[in-house]
Amino acid sequence: MRSRFAILVLFSLLPVFSFGQQRSDAPAAQAGQRGRGARGPAQRPPSAPTPRYPDGHPMLSAPPGKLGYWDAGTGSIFGKNGNNLPTNLDISEVPFMAWSRALYEVRRAEQSKSDPHARCLPPGGPRQFHTPYGLLIYEIPEAKRVLILSGGGPHIWRIVYTDGRPHPPADQLDPGFLGHSVGHWEGDTLVIDTVGFNEKFWMTRFGLPHTEALHLIERISRPDYNTLKYEVTIDDPKTYTRPWSGGHIINWHPDEDFPEYFCQDNNRDAEHLVGQ
Amino acid sequence: MRFRTAVFCALILGFVLAAPLLAHHSFAAEYDSTKVVKLTGNVTRVDWQNPHAYFYIDVKNAETGRVENWAFEMGAPSVIARQGWTKTTLKIGDVIIVEGTRAKDGGFHGNARSVYMADTGKKLGAGSSEATTP
Repeated sequence: MRSRFAILVLFSLLPVFSFGQQRSDAPAAQAGQRGRGARGPAQRPPSAPTPRYPDGHPMLSAPPGKLGYWDAGTGSIFGKNGNNLPTNLDISEVPFMAWSRALYEVRRAEQSKSDPHARCLPPGGPRQFHTPYGLLIYEIPEAKRVLILSGGGPHIWRIVYTDGRPHPPADQLDPGFLGHSVGHWEGDTLVIDTVGFNEKFWMTRFGLPHTEALHLIERISRPDYNTLKYEVTIDDPKTYTRPWSGGHIINWHPDEDFPEYFCQDNNRDAEHLVGQ
Repeated sequence: MRFRTAVFCALILGFVLAAPLLAHHSFAAEYDSTKVVKLTGNVTRVDWQNPHAYFYIDVKNAETGRVENWAFEMGAPSVIARQGWTKTTLKIGDVIIVEGTRAKDGGFHGNARSVYMADTGKKLGAGSSEATTP
């Protein structure tokens, strides 16, 4: 009886230890390395196989009759800890130009007080994949579109055209928060090419700079039911000296859809963000 | 019975402390973890809204004798609901004790870590969004 009690208590406290680990990760988080655990990918339970359409290509969200969403919120495109890919660059290896490195360092020193996302502006590019409160990716084959839905922030959706259309000519492309996205499948990976960004958002949580020259190639796959793998190549020749890549995984949150969340509803933080 | 009670308490503790707390803004830019406050006051308003649930309490300043209306931020409603909160957990007029972190700007504004009912000492859970990602 006593040993059963000890096992049950220990089991129940495992999440506490995990939580304590997250809290102690705070400095790493500020360096863009936040994740589930500090020393590498977390141990993950066995997963069901990737759900697939009748033609065999992967479903990136809940299959018919099921609920769930991608539990975005952690993960970074640089740093190797937690859910980040082991191939990621360290922040010291990101090929900044002098001006972009300086701007990034100012944003870090100011503790992100100027983050547009804290003012409920949309999380463009990679940030859509690490914004808290849920992510869903639904393909609409008959419309030849993929919709990427964000539960958090200002509750945005992004359209990826998979009908083979090209991007509009540059002189007809109005820069926006989400850009213009076209996609196609390469085996089990959805490849998305996006251009046409404005400069009004931070493309990552910790304020990596970019310009309107930003061109993204995102590669999204679902290696098993519970895992989404997100990889992105950052190609912005006005901000970085060469294209560079990074990514992270996102875990599946089963059995419920993401809750309603609109950052704009009662956002009282902006007036209090003073930084240091 | 004691065995079941202990297991139950451990499970609840694990659940409460492990619940994810995520914010849309930098905690460090808004709150100073070294400015810890513990205040007693009566609830004047509850905002069960995104991106953060808020409650407001009237607190009598012991030095000036003036009543200050403090605002306290918690996590998003869907997050603190997993910790047992509902939109009716706090009622206007309830007298509560709040432990939290004061805003860096020095206003009557803070981030609640723990809330207790003043008359019973019942803890209503931790609503802080500290140690979160923007």
